[in-house]
Amino acid sequence: MQPGFSLRIHNRLLELDRIADAVEVFGEAHGLPHKLRFKIRLVLDELLTNIINYGYCDNGDHVVRVSMGQDGSRLRFVLEDDARPFNPLSAKSPDFETSVADRKIGGLGIHLVRVIMDRVAYERVGGTNRLILEKDID
Amino acid sequence: MQLVEKENDGITVLELGGRLDSNTSKVLEDKVMELLGQGKKQVLMDFKEVDYINSTGLRVLLLALQQLKKIQGRLVLSTIKDYMKEVFEISGYTEIFPIYATQEEALAHFS
Repeated sequence: MQPGFSLRIHNRLLELDRIADAVEVFGEAHGLPHKLRFKIRLVLDELLTNIINYGYCDNGDHVVRVSMGQDGSRLRFVLEDDARPFNPLSAKSPDFETSVADRKIGGLGIHLVRVIMDRVAYERVGGTNRLILEKDID
Repeated sequence: MQLVEKENDGITVLELGGRLDSNTSKVLEDKVMELLGQGKKQVLMDFKEVDYINSTGLRVLLLALQQLKKIQGRLVLSTIKDYMKEVFEISGYTEIFPIYATQEEALAHFS
């Protein structure tokens, strides 16, 4: 695993700007194309937005740890939080067969994560949600 | 997020810029609601200057489309940057939205 980096963000949506900056720095360091940087930023944004908006039962300050690294032709991202247990892999995908009028407004974020990433694994360790995301690169 | 509203022969053109995300999409949603309140039915959203969108932004587009369809209105999109197009595809939006490469082509859709 080549050295990547990790950062800790607080449970506030404005912290997502720091993620956007971090993905740019990571993408630059690893020579990733613009399109891939966008997708990585989107995936992390969707997951962190869910954690920040819905993960906590209190109004307190919480920290989410985000790690980014590369292992050969594989990019790996790890999210660790102390929010309530939530496995994004158990969420239902939107039903694309329904008509526009009836299409549900929701579930899209997790769908994007699943389609964009090549592997997603979830584990609950002690009081921590750990989500491991991998994306193969050429 | 930047939003410039123009009228072009009965079509409301919203030229969008910046980010359409969880912090900013409400601005667009409020604008859509305002247009619906004014009885506007023909809407074009130009994404030429938009450099980021997430599912919150995408949701506002679906909401706008659903509301406009209810009143036999139309919503057309244009000028989405190449690197973002795939996300519109993954979301199924290329099936439900008319999407054009330029604002001019999108305007022609209404005629």
